[in-house]
Amino acid sequence: MRILRLAAVVVVLLFVAVQLSPGARAAGPVTEVLIGELLPLTGNFASLGQQYLWAGQTVEDIVNNDYPDLQVPLGPGKGFPGLGGAKMTLVVRDDQSRGDQARALAEQLITVNKVHWLNGEGTSGNTSIIQPLVDSYGIPMSCHACASPTLTEKGFKWFWRTGPNDSTMVASVFQFLKEWPAHGGPKDLKTIALFTCDNLFCQDNRKIAADLAEKGGYKIVADLTTKTGATTLASEVQRLQSANPDVLFLVQYPAETTVFQADAKRAGFMPKVIATSNGAYSDQTWLTAQKATSGAAGWLGRDPTAIDLASKKASWKKVNEIYKKYSRGQDMGELAMREITGMLWMADTINRAKSVEPAVLAKAAAETDMKPDQMIIDYKGIKFDANRQNVLATGVVTQIGWDDEKHTIWPWDLAAQSGFKPIFPSPSWQERETRSKK
Amino acid sequence: MTLFLQAVADGLQMGLLYALVAVGLAIIWGLMEMINFAHGEFMMLGMFGAWGLSVALGWDPLVSMVPIAVLMYGGGVLVYRLLMRRVQRGEVFTQIFATVGLFFFVQNGVVALFTSDYRFVEKSLLTSLSGANLTFGGLRVGIPLLVGGLIALALFLVLYLLIDRTDFGLAMQATAEDRDAAMLVGIRPQRMYAVAWGLGTALVAVAGVILANFFSVYPQAGLSFTVLAYAIVALGGFGSILGTLLAALLVGVVQSVTAAYLPPAFKDAFVFASYILIGLFRPQGLFGRF
Repeated sequence: MRILRLAAVVVVLLFVAVQLSPGARAAGPVTEVLIGELLPLTGNFASLGQQYLWAGQTVEDIVNNDYPDLQVPLGPGKGFPGLGGAKMTLVVRDDQSRGDQARALAEQLITVNKVHWLNGEGTSGNTSIIQPLVDSYGIPMSCHACASPTLTEKGFKWFWRTGPNDSTMVASVFQFLKEWPAHGGPKDLKTIALFTCDNLFCQDNRKIAADLAEKGGYKIVADLTTKTGATTLASEVQRLQSANPDVLFLVQYPAETTVFQADAKRAGFMPKVIATSNGAYSDQTWLTAQKATSGAAGWLGRDPTAIDLASKKASWKKVNEIYKKYSRGQDMGELAMREITGMLWMADTINRAKSVEPAVLAKAAAETDMKPDQMIIDYKGIKFDANRQNVLATGVVTQIGWDDEKHTIWPWDLAAQSGFKPIFPSPSWQERETRSKK
Repeated sequence: MTLFLQAVADGLQMGLLYALVAVGLAIIWGLMEMINFAHGEFMMLGMFGAWGLSVALGWDPLVSMVPIAVLMYGGGVLVYRLLMRRVQRGEVFTQIFATVGLFFFVQNGVVALFTSDYRFVEKSLLTSLSGANLTFGGLRVGIPLLVGGLIALALFLVLYLLIDRTDFGLAMQATAEDRDAAMLVGIRPQRMYAVAWGLGTALVAVAGVILANFFSVYPQAGLSFTVLAYAIVALGGFGSILGTLLAALLVGVVQSVTAAYLPPAFKDAFVFASYILIGLFRPQGLFGRF
């Protein structure tokens, strides 16, 4: 009798284990491909999360509806043809910008919702927290807009990134500064100050920039890390002003960048060059707000795409039209472009795999060789290295002009197409005020 | 020396803004001893109000401050009557959870209505003066911050007179000290609490309206200020309006001087270290009566 009870318990436990295992799904044709969309929709990084969500909804729309003239993967036709027309369904979860919550929700998405692919979390810090968990379950995962190089350097087998990482993009800025004198730029930029926030993304940028600055022969005259959520940066601005750098390398989120701008304006601080990397420079709402004051004219930064050139593509315009259905009329920024490109690659991979089995998906991902004409962004293509990082994702350098729009200024061939003459030195606050009033 | 003095001057200017944020909490928490974790969210609503009226009607925040204060006063009274009055007699944890719930409800409600975009008050008297400074002996004082600070000082003066020099203020203090004894002399405690919530909410909303001239407006804007406001009220001493003002100035200066000489990451750490240090010698805070 005792043996029978024990056997019954073992059977029940086995049943539960099988039910909880990620591969346990009903056999038969797939009618719905579930994409876990784990995002920071509330909390500190909500402004990023909402752009990723709109991007995800755009891709879901493109895949599930027929856009015959749209030259992106799965644009023409409805659903996944490789899976008999199965629909894509996003299973959206908000982690409140918290790593612990992200981990719990990732586990729930895998074991309870049984998603076939996990996309998220949108910020490098929280993505690094959920990576080990997702890897242990053996589910494909991607974060296309996460730029921390470490995400693809830790040897995780189930993580893919189509976007460029910070090593590539920050290097673009320093390469531009190095080559600029030969193209009519200043020859007297000798000192640099680093001014960054304190999370993984900012600190990765800081380390890369510090390394590249030293290699580039710059003297680092200040290196300040600030807490995210700062209510004043007046003393920090004073220290930067005393250090008098030629170049300010600034990586801060929109709220802190606004505080910095107000304090710098009050102190009359303006270095010759302000170079940025993501953060506010990638945030569409911050960029739009600068138009009233020309507050960002002359700021230059790394971007994953030449947005001024890419936006002339017919496919970009059509995708932007779809995106605006979800974004309450806001245009795609570069973050959304990275995310849409990545998620369309994911959809293409699922379609080519003709299966939702993780191993088959991984094989299809590894075989990726996507050409630039299939993308709304101007990567040279999508092809992965051994770490599942897209080796054809390139960075460009853009600068905000007096028209308050971004213009490509590096690489030089794209800069020539853009036809924009870089602004130097960075205009004073008075000049911005005078120009913005005209 | 200039670095130090400029840091002190910057700190005092920011301290006045912090005081403006903390004063509402000084009434609700410091005086009436009720916890309100949604304090920063009322400030954020004030910021959104200033932005909304600026965009929709072209009102300067210095003008919209008045209708927003009136509206938020009503909002504060409603929050008390509909929510806090019911949880007031329970455990203190009930108040904590009720206001944490309110925090999420308000913040996420704003996210749902307006998205998490950053917004900016672009046309106002104070923003048009941004970058304009007064100089005293080589020290810069930003005019917009100075105006914000003067408004804060004026509000403090009014509040100080109201709480310390009027029968109404004494009735509020009596309610906070001994609710039953206050009832015996004819004070209606529920009314006092409702007014305290109304006043506290209106004041922090006014702070939000002023801050909208200097900071980006977004649903999560209140959190950083809430944490500081709690430290300021505790540091200044429960029940002391003057203590709140001085503690806010102290916090501003400590933050600013710390960031001028040490890695900026230390600046909030030093604020809370000051609180611990003062707490060792004066557990009731600098000017606390309880």
